[in-house]
Amino acid sequence: MQSFNYLAPHSQNELCQVLCNTAGKIIAGGTDMLPQMRNLKQTPSTLIDISHISDLRYIQESEDEVLIGALTTWSDILESPLIQKTAPALAQAASLVGAPMTRNRGTIGGNLGNASPAADSLPPLLTLDAIVHLNSQSGQRQVPLRNFLTGPGTTDLKADEYIQQVSYKKVALPFGNVFNKLGPRQGMTISIASVAVLLALDANGKITLARIALGAVAPTAVRCPDAEAFLLGKEPSTELWQEAAHQVRKAIAPIDDVRGTQEYRHHIAGILTRRALQTAYLSLQE
Amino acid sequence: MQRIQVSLKVNGKKYRLETPPNRTLLEVLREDLGLTGAKDGCSSGECGACTVLLDGRAVNSCLVLIGSADGHSIETVEGLQKAGMPHPLQKAFVEKGAVQCGFCTPGMLMAAKALLDQNPKPDEEQIRTALAGNLCRCTGYTKIIDAVQEAAKELRYE
Repeated sequence: MQSFNYLAPHSQNELCQVLCNTAGKIIAGGTDMLPQMRNLKQTPSTLIDISHISDLRYIQESEDEVLIGALTTWSDILESPLIQKTAPALAQAASLVGAPMTRNRGTIGGNLGNASPAADSLPPLLTLDAIVHLNSQSGQRQVPLRNFLTGPGTTDLKADEYIQQVSYKKVALPFGNVFNKLGPRQGMTISIASVAVLLALDANGKITLARIALGAVAPTAVRCPDAEAFLLGKEPSTELWQEAAHQVRKAIAPIDDVRGTQEYRHHIAGILTRRALQTAYLSLQE
Repeated sequence: MQRIQVSLKVNGKKYRLETPPNRTLLEVLREDLGLTGAKDGCSSGECGACTVLLDGRAVNSCLVLIGSADGHSIETVEGLQKAGMPHPLQKAFVEKGAVQCGFCTPGMLMAAKALLDQNPKPDEEQIRTALAGNLCRCTGYTKIIDAVQEAAKELRYE
């Protein structure tokens, strides 16, 4: 590994000062950063290791919100009853990140900061209208996740800021919230495409809430507002899901890469959407 | 060149060492402590040959920066045997023929230990999930799963 200057702040105050005085790259769980440093995609001259800041690892709730600290691991998320109840798609996505070893080290803050278009946390968090909380010496800032993601691997994070937590408003029960991903194998796989949906119905069975987000099919993970608006007020049916899938295919801009072709991604994005909507609908019938 | 002080507890024994920061836990275990059980396979968190337990959880030691391991407790395959007697997992791997070339075995054993410590009676699906990040090119996995089930049985009788 290349050499670097190593700083390991033990508190958020210390981290603010370090970020104010030093241009450095933050490392949390290291599951993305270390491979990137080995193949020289990242060559930080200063590495700021935040893994010792213990008060950045938590899952908390207030009356109407859930707050997840940046250093919360995938294992923490998938094992949390609070997440399973308020964000089932996020718990599901967490269970599909890498293997247990990755889930025990990889953090939600790292996933957001790394901003891979294929990051599994992003579609579920987008369906929850998640807010990213940033902090620095000069104060706090809250940015909706969909604005935080600015491109493949790029975010709205400023050089002196760090991701403190991500939050979402609790959605009134009952609702269906499902994550679906397709990769080359079932375990330990990076998504060729992924989708999360959030669905709620009124007493007459009409759709009152529809949120659809996709990963790995555009420069960032994206919401599909046209498909969502199309579903509102309608009654669930196989044909309806088919039409929503069609709308989703119009909203995305996939590319060819090592994991799949543009054409294939286009095709499966629709299929994954249709399946996720149906699964979310069935979960509401239970 | 910057050097950092790191305190580790490895297989119950405390170590205090000084090292350049651009090293991984795996490198320190193998090169400084002579614990060569954990292997360097892919260096990118794909193969699981470097799996050790950090505070009881399975991790890829090739993806743990040594500074990040400071103050933590590590278990490696060398810590499995007690007083020269193999751990039930090690015994079962031998008896069930779950070892061929052996390169993946230390990582398999540690990932399996992490599973059995949390879940003493895993079904096949749970074992496959727990070992999804440990690649084996020899056995075809079936015998490894048999071995984990066998060890789980023995551990439950203890």
